[in-house]
Amino acid sequence: MEQFHSEVISCRESARDYYELIFTWKGPVPLPGQFLTLRCWEGDSPLLRRPFALSSYDAAERRASLIFQKRGPATSLMTHLKTGDHMDILGPLGGTFPPPETGRRPVITGGGIGTGPVLFLADALSRAGLRPLLVLGFRDKNFVPRVHLPLGCETVICTDDGSAGQEGTVIDYLRSRDDLAGSHFYGCGPNPMLKGLHELAVEQNAPCSVSVEEVMACGIGACQGCAIPVNLPRKFLRVCQDGPVFDSRILVWT
Amino acid sequence: MDLTVTIGSGTLPNPVGVASGTFGFGEEYGRLIDLSRLGAVYAKALTLEHRPGNDTPRMVETPSGMLNSIGLANPGWERFRVEKAPFLRDMACPAVLNIGGKKESDYLELVEKCEELDCHWGYEINISCPNVKAGGLAFGTDTHQVESLTKKLRPLTKKPLIMKLTPNVTDIGEIAKAAEAGGADAVSAINTLKGMVIDTKKRRPVIPAGTAGLSGAAVRPVGVACVYRIAQCVSLPIIGLGGIFTADHAIQYLLAGASAVQVGTALFVDPRIPLQVLEGIEAYMDANGFTSLKDFHGHF
Ligand SMILES: Cc1cc2nc3c(=O)[nH]c(=O)nc-3n(C[C@H](O)[C@H](O)[C@H](O)COP(=O)(O)OP(=O)(O)OC[C@H]3O[C@@H](n4cnc5c(N)ncnc54)[C@H](O)[C@@H]3O)c2cc1C
Ligand SMILES: Cc1cc2nc3c(=O)[nH]c(=O)nc-3n(C[C@H](O)[C@H](O)[C@H](O)COP(=O)(O)O)c2cc1C
Ligand code: FES
Repeated sequence: MEQFHSEVISCRESARDYYELIFTWKGPVPLPGQFLTLRCWEGDSPLLRRPFALSSYDAAERRASLIFQKRGPATSLMTHLKTGDHMDILGPLGGTFPPPETGRRPVITGGGIGTGPVLFLADALSRAGLRPLLVLGFRDKNFVPRVHLPLGCETVICTDDGSAGQEGTVIDYLRSRDDLAGSHFYGCGPNPMLKGLHELAVEQNAPCSVSVEEVMACGIGACQGCAIPVNLPRKFLRVCQDGPVFDSRILVWT
Repeated sequence: MDLTVTIGSGTLPNPVGVASGTFGFGEEYGRLIDLSRLGAVYAKALTLEHRPGNDTPRMVETPSGMLNSIGLANPGWERFRVEKAPFLRDMACPAVLNIGGKKESDYLELVEKCEELDCHWGYEINISCPNVKAGGLAFGTDTHQVESLTKKLRPLTKKPLIMKLTPNVTDIGEIAKAAEAGGADAVSAINTLKGMVIDTKKRRPVIPAGTAGLSGAAVRPVGVACVYRIAQCVSLPIIGLGGIFTADHAIQYLLAGASAVQVGTALFVDPRIPLQVLEGIEAYMDANGFTSLKDFHGHF
């Protein structure tokens, strides 16, 4: 982890209300699942740094990217970022997605603001020759990001209304496949999707690693603010330091 | 220029510390900033037993501030002794242990236990905790409880004893007087203000506990006014905090009567802020011919 100055290389709308931000990276090499916190505005409002997962890292060019959704004050400001603008970055933070258990095929699911980290993971596992199945879910075709999809994986797009790719949710799609025994499931995205993935993994007795989100202040493990309940004696773990990727079986699913 | 601050039997190298609960036990931020330049690390609240902490979510951003309801989450004395104390002992700046409890005897027992260790410079007693024996009313809201607790703690240690005051009272000056009467070496103020944010879609408070602690820039004028009031009431050194983001904010606290300051929530915005605040105080003293922190006092 390091705090460093970064310059925006580009920021463009890649789907409705979703933006791809590419920027220079001076910190230690980030891995899939890790995140950063940033500030690119002055003053007290918004106040806290905001966390975002990385969606790619180019070691040769020393540049990284993230995909963000315009949601509130901070992400609205971020939509105005232009080439050459400065950002204050703290990263890489948190842990990484674990490698797939030996002999298991990675099945990676993502959607919404979880798209970035799963693209990064799918790319890394493809490069390692593991030929992951990547299943991305969106509301409709307007939300499907126009970004570079990783080569070397089987990629499936799902939309709720069928306006692009398969009709239905990511979980509907996974349940329609009969060749997923022996998978290691990965996921990042809306809670119903992660819960569905967890249930599928439990039925199949397969490992399941999910990346989750909680409001953060320090982002480095010092404040205990980002705690989430877990099925362990200590009752809570910190998303920023103990996660953001967890074995789905230790999380409390409601 | 003399930047040292004397509190009871101890001296801090400079007036800028980091506030309890925002800096853990020092390890995490120690990887980002040079701890040897800090006046002190006020560690996360410590309690006798392990506290898992409050239900989640524990935080929400508010206008120029934030609410938190961490619930004094900490590993408890036993794990603190093994896992955290060695780092504090070897740390390049003084460590102040922030002590919490549910009843008087918790505080006394914990301070006695801490006396066995050599990891710390002094104590900051967090009296914003609810007292189970007083119907959950915070220790720090009642002059009798504050004086009684301070009196009982005093003989247990020769180290500096700082009572950390809550602003959720009618007159913080009266509470400071009680701490002084009990034998405290200093008071720190302010802890968080009570606040609430309601989710109008779900029709319930965002933080499950309902109310939570407000901190950050939004509370700064309240903190400065509290320090000013305390300075009129007691002759103890005062450690001012609440919403300090720049040297100018820290200087407001010093001019109001504080002898030292702490930076809390601002760390979440930029971990370098405490060191920038220290540099700014030095520059201000230099520009105005101040030779010691006492020169900040008595201007109005
Ligand atoms: C580990 C992690 C990785 C993330 N990765 C991505 C990503 O790749 N792409 C993406 O679009 N978003 C990501 N997020 C969520 C992103 O941080 C929030 O969308 C952003 O903070 C919203 O800020 P805002 O001011 O625009 O909106 P606000 O109106 O302030 O908040 C909108 C929602 O965002 C969440 N949020 C607010 N403040 C914080 C905070 N300080 N920390 C965390 N969440 C907060 C809350 O759930 C809130 O309801 C991630 C969050 C975490 C914790
Ligand atoms: C996340 C968080 C945790 C805190 N935990 C403690 C604590 O354990 N003990 C304590 O005395 N004060 C605690 N505080 C209060 C701060 O030390 C400080 O008094 C308050 O936040 C005001 O200062 P600030 O505006 O600079 O943050 C906490 C504050 C925050 C934001
Ligand atoms: S955000 Fe502070 S511990 Fe995770």
